[in-house]
Amino acid sequence: MNARALGRFVTRAIIVVVALLVVIPVVWTLLSAFKHTVDIQTTPPILVFKPTLDNFIYVLNRASVRGALFNSVVISASSVLIGAVLGLPCAYAVARYPSRHAEDIQFFVLSIRFLPPIAVALPLMVIWLDLGLYDSRTSMIITYTLFTLSVTIWLAIPAFKRVPREIEDAAFVDGYSAYAIFFLIALPVAAKSLLGAIVFSFVLVWNEFLIALMLTTSDARTLPIVASELSQLGFDTPWGILNASVIVLSLPPLMFLGVLSGFLNSFLKRKA
Amino acid sequence: MKTGTRLPFVFVVPTMTVLAVVALVPTIDAINIALQNRELSNPDSHYVWLANFAALFHDDRFLHSMWISLLWELLTVSATMIVAIPLAVLLFETVGSRLRDALCVLFIVPVLLPRVSAAYVWKFAFHPLYGLAAYPLKLAVGHPVDLLSDPHTAMATVAIVDVWQWGLLFSVIVVKLLETLPRQPLEAARLDYARTWEIYLFIAIPMLRAAMISLVFVKMVESLRAFDLIYVMTRGGPGIATETLDMYAYSQGFIESGLISYASSMAVLMMAATSLVFTVIWRWAR
Repeated sequence: MNARALGRFVTRAIIVVVALLVVIPVVWTLLSAFKHTVDIQTTPPILVFKPTLDNFIYVLNRASVRGALFNSVVISASSVLIGAVLGLPCAYAVARYPSRHAEDIQFFVLSIRFLPPIAVALPLMVIWLDLGLYDSRTSMIITYTLFTLSVTIWLAIPAFKRVPREIEDAAFVDGYSAYAIFFLIALPVAAKSLLGAIVFSFVLVWNEFLIALMLTTSDARTLPIVASELSQLGFDTPWGILNASVIVLSLPPLMFLGVLSGFLNSFLKRKA
Repeated sequence: MKTGTRLPFVFVVPTMTVLAVVALVPTIDAINIALQNRELSNPDSHYVWLANFAALFHDDRFLHSMWISLLWELLTVSATMIVAIPLAVLLFETVGSRLRDALCVLFIVPVLLPRVSAAYVWKFAFHPLYGLAAYPLKLAVGHPVDLLSDPHTAMATVAIVDVWQWGLLFSVIVVKLLETLPRQPLEAARLDYARTWEIYLFIAIPMLRAAMISLVFVKMVESLRAFDLIYVMTRGGPGIATETLDMYAYSQGFIESGLISYASSMAVLMMAATSLVFTVIWRWAR
């Protein structure tokens, strides 16, 4: 019985430690974003300090950060939108109209995910340079559409398959056209899962780094790139400013925590 | 239902055309560039065919980066699974369902963070002087320890961050999968006096075999995308201790020398190797 109690204590302790491994770094980053450099460089690390907004003011007032924030919003939003508009109908057709191509389409869409990003970025650098579109938002939107489109299709196919067939059959009997069934029945019924798929594609391109690093130099730089360059200010790494930029960069994906966790649940539950 | 409609054609063909163009143009062009001797600083180029590939195999730094990439794959994929499965079993076995759901939400936070953010969070934590994770280490050893500047520990330290993101996500996925399993086989085993770990090792996990293979597969693909993590945390350093293939291709093709064709030949090799390996695994797993 004692061994049992000990076992229970150990397992609880492990879970608490793991949870703390998530909470502490995140909270510590948040706290440090409000610290003066002196408070960051004190040892042992301190919890009580006089908070400051200087880091955030500095980050949000930098022209490079503002430009990058604008670029990131425009590039992510446009590529996600194009991915959804082109991807959802395609996914629906693959899910609902069985054909010998369905399997091939799915494999092709998935295989885009296998491509090493560097193998896409290098030739695109040459292509965009030749076309005079290098370092532009247009070229970034087109490039990112490759990822949003493939991911949206891949995740939307199972979402459409889960729409009960009887509803669509009933609509057909009622005289709905194939297109009306898609727009008025399938889309609204699958809306929640589709939203999850679209949000997932957003997080993917918002967080993207390597391709943006190679395809932009100044005008079209995205937020991750500018954030990664903040460490090169002056001699001393400005950790307060860096922590503030980490918070700004991470907020958009974290806003969707609820949507994505719900999406993960429904995706796994119905699959098994 | 819905016979004779042109909907599949109208919905699929334009999308697949766009996707094929944006996917195939760069990949075919990558091969085309790899066969030339193009440089960023010099627009004149001509075909040198396989010379770049031949040169690669005499390039020690390339061979080293290939080894580092392989090591990184092995380390992160195995560590992710080794963390995820026992953690999932612990969560499933010992935590009530409401607390478990809350923990599952918490555990997907790391993977949602942009890699650049995660890299900074941990680079800060491992800072030898005022990092939170380095502080206990400093007390224990008596002097500041810089894990990221030591060639022996740099890769393992970066891998910790990767597992922090992916191991926890995978533990959530495995928990959700365990929740979908039928209870009877597990209870039957319990009645037969099977120990808890035996039930999971011999019954529950084997029942999820297909899902486990997919998870390993997903992690293999994702581990190839660790450029941002390594770039922010070590820039491939110290020296070339954490220089993976994409890191080396980037430095050859972009910053150090602008040898686009040479870098492309590396990218093409990576593409060929990953497509081959993943196609085989995918077909086999189906």
